[in-house]
Amino acid sequence: MTSLQNKVTELFENGTINLLIGFKEAIHKLPVPCFIDNVSQVEQLIFTPSCKGNLSVYLLKTEVKQAKKVGILANVATLRAIVQLVSENQLGDIEKTVITLDAKGELVVFATMDELEAYVQANFPDLSEEDKKLLDQLNAMSRTERWQYWTEQFTACVKCYACRAVCPMCYCSSCTVEGNQPQWIKVSSETTGNLEWHTMRAMHLGGRCINCGECGRICPVGIPVHMLTVKMNQDIEAEFGAKTGFSVKNGYALNSFKPGDKEQFIK
Amino acid sequence: MSEQFEPKIVAFVCNWCTYAGADLAGTSRTKYATNVSIIRFPCTGRIDFMLLMKAFENGADGIIVSGCHPNDCHYTSGNFHARRRWIVFRSLLDFMGFDTDRITFSWVSAAEGTKWAGLVNEVTEKIREKGPFTEFKKLDYSILEKIENDVVTE
Repeated sequence: MTSLQNKVTELFENGTINLLIGFKEAIHKLPVPCFIDNVSQVEQLIFTPSCKGNLSVYLLKTEVKQAKKVGILANVATLRAIVQLVSENQLGDIEKTVITLDAKGELVVFATMDELEAYVQANFPDLSEEDKKLLDQLNAMSRTERWQYWTEQFTACVKCYACRAVCPMCYCSSCTVEGNQPQWIKVSSETTGNLEWHTMRAMHLGGRCINCGECGRICPVGIPVHMLTVKMNQDIEAEFGAKTGFSVKNGYALNSFKPGDKEQFIK
Repeated sequence: MSEQFEPKIVAFVCNWCTYAGADLAGTSRTKYATNVSIIRFPCTGRIDFMLLMKAFENGADGIIVSGCHPNDCHYTSGNFHARRRWIVFRSLLDFMGFDTDRITFSWVSAAEGTKWAGLVNEVTEKIREKGPFTEFKKLDYSILEKIENDVVTE
């Protein structure tokens, strides 16, 4: 048994957790999420740097909340998501035990939220090289080139809403796209409607997205949707100095204001 | 002689300042472009970005969004919240390559009837020069064209 499996067994035996959200062996190279509710299943658990998924999305599901004492395997992006979710008062009624891998590959188990917060602040994740490159590339384009790029991308969108399903911050019980009085966004997949959907998704996540990049990774047609929120987060940080998932006392940048907010375009 | 293009402009305005300003322009008999359709909102804070997207989808060529000057909001902070939202929304649209020149943001108070008339004239002129917003309107047809072309070549 690995040290992770030993640790989880111990947590189950002393009653600290009665459900663990973790990863098991890869299918098609990607480790898959698994839910473990007793010691006999512990053997399938793995936790390697290739476990890039953000499991915090499951913390908001009713079935998981019912378990009350939940353990979760978390990479740095997931830790940041947990901090953001706590700041949005979404994890109030769960006793969570968060386990992460530090840079040396050692297991870290957080006893308190303060410890977790301090760890996130010390290991604050930066954008991946790939994302930085794409962002620079997009910023260097002319406006019409960007329009061309994004409309082509959005034309491919099939409106499967996987980007919404995978996002830990998309937790509204009823989403605007499901409402039909009025029908804000067309149900069918057409470019204008797709453009509206992605604009809306980005706007609703601006200042809340924690840049885990899951939405872009999960997209079946490969649209880099996460770039929209990455860009918005950059703007919000530059304009209003708010960093998402940095502190549990974070406010929501678009829900507050300063009389001295600066802009150049309002006549 | 070719006919001059008349742009459709939609103005999203707040009830307390810009709407009253537009009213003042009317009662003072100030002449201004008739291309604008005014939609009245309780406050700029109520002007959701989706409304702007819907206006474009329904054929608007240009949009004006206007409300009370900072510190003058009837509800004290609606326009401050709106301003933050506009800052990020405008930047997001620009990042997606959307022509942000077609959306004009402004502060017009209840006493600024002349400013309102001038603003509408200016925006109308600007959008007239830019022409119809075909870039956006042709989006859904461009995919049909693509399919048609594919069929023809096959």
